[in-house]
Amino acid sequence: MLFNSLGFIAFLTIVLILYYTPILSWVQKKVMLLLASYIFYGLWNPPLILLLWISTMVDWTAGNQLAKEERPKIRKLWLLLSMFVNLGFLAFFKYGDFLLENFVAVTGAIGWDFQALPMDIILPMGISFYTFQTMSYTIDIYKRKIEPAKTFLDFALYVTFFPQLVAGPIVRAKDLITQFYEKKKATAQQFIWGLFLLTLGLFQKVVLADTLLSNTSDTVFGAKEILNVWDAWSGTLAFSGQIFFDFAGYSTCAIGIALMLGIVLPDNFMYPYASIGFSDLWKRWHISLSTWLRDYLYIPLGGNRNGITRMYVALMLTMLLGGLWHGAAWTFVIWGGLHGIYLVGERLLKKMITIKVNAWNGIFLALLTYTLVNFTWVFFRAREFTTAKNMITSMLFMNADGAKILDTVDVLKVFGLITMLFLCHWFMRNTNLKEVSKRTPSWILGLIWAVMFFLLSISQGSGEQFIYFQF
Amino acid sequence: MNLKQSLLIAFVLGVISLTAWECYWRSQGKTPTFQDDNALWASTRSRVEKLTKDDFVFVGSSRIHFDVQLEIWENLTGKKPVQLAMGGASPLPVFRDVVRNTDYNGTIVVGITPPLFFSTTFPQAPPISGPQEKVDHYQNRTYAQRFNQWLSLPLQRNIAFVQSYEDMLAGNFDLKSLIETIKMGNRTEKPIMPPFYDFGVISEDRNVRMADKFEKDSTWAQTVIDVWMFCLQGNADMPPPDKEGTSSFFLEDLQIFQERGGKVILLRCPSANKFREIENKITPREAFWDELVKKSGLPAYHFEDYKQLQGLRIPEWSHLAAEDADHFTKELIKLMQKDGAINL
Repeated sequence: MLFNSLGFIAFLTIVLILYYTPILSWVQKKVMLLLASYIFYGLWNPPLILLLWISTMVDWTAGNQLAKEERPKIRKLWLLLSMFVNLGFLAFFKYGDFLLENFVAVTGAIGWDFQALPMDIILPMGISFYTFQTMSYTIDIYKRKIEPAKTFLDFALYVTFFPQLVAGPIVRAKDLITQFYEKKKATAQQFIWGLFLLTLGLFQKVVLADTLLSNTSDTVFGAKEILNVWDAWSGTLAFSGQIFFDFAGYSTCAIGIALMLGIVLPDNFMYPYASIGFSDLWKRWHISLSTWLRDYLYIPLGGNRNGITRMYVALMLTMLLGGLWHGAAWTFVIWGGLHGIYLVGERLLKKMITIKVNAWNGIFLALLTYTLVNFTWVFFRAREFTTAKNMITSMLFMNADGAKILDTVDVLKVFGLITMLFLCHWFMRNTNLKEVSKRTPSWILGLIWAVMFFLLSISQGSGEQFIYFQF
Repeated sequence: MNLKQSLLIAFVLGVISLTAWECYWRSQGKTPTFQDDNALWASTRSRVEKLTKDDFVFVGSSRIHFDVQLEIWENLTGKKPVQLAMGGASPLPVFRDVVRNTDYNGTIVVGITPPLFFSTTFPQAPPISGPQEKVDHYQNRTYAQRFNQWLSLPLQRNIAFVQSYEDMLAGNFDLKSLIETIKMGNRTEKPIMPPFYDFGVISEDRNVRMADKFEKDSTWAQTVIDVWMFCLQGNADMPPPDKEGTSSFFLEDLQIFQERGGKVILLRCPSANKFREIENKITPREAFWDELVKKSGLPAYHFEDYKQLQGLRIPEWSHLAAEDADHFTKELIKLMQKDGAINL
């Protein structure tokens, strides 16, 4: 079920009515939320609920055994079971076709004419998110950082909680399960703020991403010709805006919906396009994934404890795997690799040059960071390397006679909107929405809310899927 | 921060602005209409699963969609047909879907618009890609999408501004369509297609009738003619005809359908003036239609062969005016009945 659909509005209304009905006890309300979450997921493809159940059962059992067991070897085996099941699901459903294609390519390269039938495996929505979330649970218990969930119901709800089930934020057990232990009820302020966030998230997705930017990005990345510099940049900038509004929009909706239930989810985006440097970027973009990768991949790989070379290797590996997490294609690996190179390069540079950041050079450095980020988006969006290569050369002014495929209005629209996005991130980089809204008169906030609601209503669209659902 | 006050202001302003928006567009002559989108097509297609041997299914392009009227057909045959035709489409993907993915063994009437039917079998090419997308949507639609469709129908029935963006059509007033009306020069230097207004009114069962203003006002009809001429003069992204490939594709499915007892009727609906001339030039009757009829051995109705199917009003040279479509449907049923092509 998509947040940007009529069905979801009806679904949420029913859930809220049941949640706030006084006749249900807290346990009954949690059971209702769990069933609602299965319905939310099952309306897309009912049989795939089985995967959620298996993941839930395995990690619940593994978590309890890890807590009880004292023998290190047995504990390791329980952890490995959890890893095997979760990563096995990912490997089969997400990377099965990719692995097979590469195997065939390798066998072809060594002269063995091996032909494999395509497996046509369906990718379960949100599998990358919920497997990472449940893995963090067992790993944290293994490391004795947390206690297992008090009840199976609390754990099942943690795995399945519908606002963040299919595209995050990837929430740690200590931040979410504990919230289920005691009765939760949103205050009036929380409920209304949650509704505002839901409207804002839908506005970002439906109006800004789908209505204003997606066509330009699709046209440019779908073009067969080599493009003019303006068209290439317009397409890339449009995609950078589209993916931000799409994904941040989803997270904002998720946070808002949870808040309407009295549950607090962590922020997932903090105005990333005003980042100064790439370390800063990864503290602001998809925060729940970048912290997950830091805690469960980068640090176990050695982090910065084993010397500079090992640190750079760990960093590169983390970013390459982070790229692969986004999709089963080499273009995603290149995307991750570029970010790894940027991060390594930045650390090397910082050793050589010390820059004191102020407002004047800050905006220039943020713009430079954003420009470099855009080159990575080309690999993220392009389906083939040829497309990416053509786009990059066009963006670097190397195709003077490139085709013009966009109208003037499209180019102006993208540059105008992206300039506003960048400036908005710049002015918001040291604050947050809540703080700004506290300083804003009520009538102005109401007016902004009404404009978003109006534009959302007259855009509608055909219920485009969120981009990150495919990851 | 007084959030309650903000919510109240947002609610009041939101309701006022949407009401004003609806009133404005209604004052401009817009009325609530159903969206002929993937969801509506899929819910219509789902009816095929329950049909019997006595039922009728229509596949094809916009001509059979406009020219054969479902209510008249139902009144005269006692059976409500399922309309699966769609604008600018080859019937091949839908015919294949019904033949290969259902047990239906009744009658399928295939509307033949020669430049579309004989175009290509390549799934990504324009006259195939559109219907293929609808077939794929039907095969892959989720329960959530069905639920959304069910919820959206009352809104489409009652609110004019509830409409989804359509790539080709002018005159829509969703936000994306309105933004696309803003033009500044012609940066791409490609020929610009004249505005293409929706000239049909669709009902929930996907019956289409020509909109009044296109029948009565030649200026509006001319806007559609301009689009036809633009496309037929080589500006549409259409491949050259592939007579052999398309015919074999169709005949292969036909054989499967006939083997399980299904009946197929071919129908060539009227066209006129320059449109007809260009069609005859691209896909001459003898080489295309006559040959297909001969190869298939199917009962076939070409408007040129029957006096009662001629002399009708075709305001934009390609589709019948509403009342003439009623007449066409009645006469067609009489002919089919007389020939034994349909048994009532």
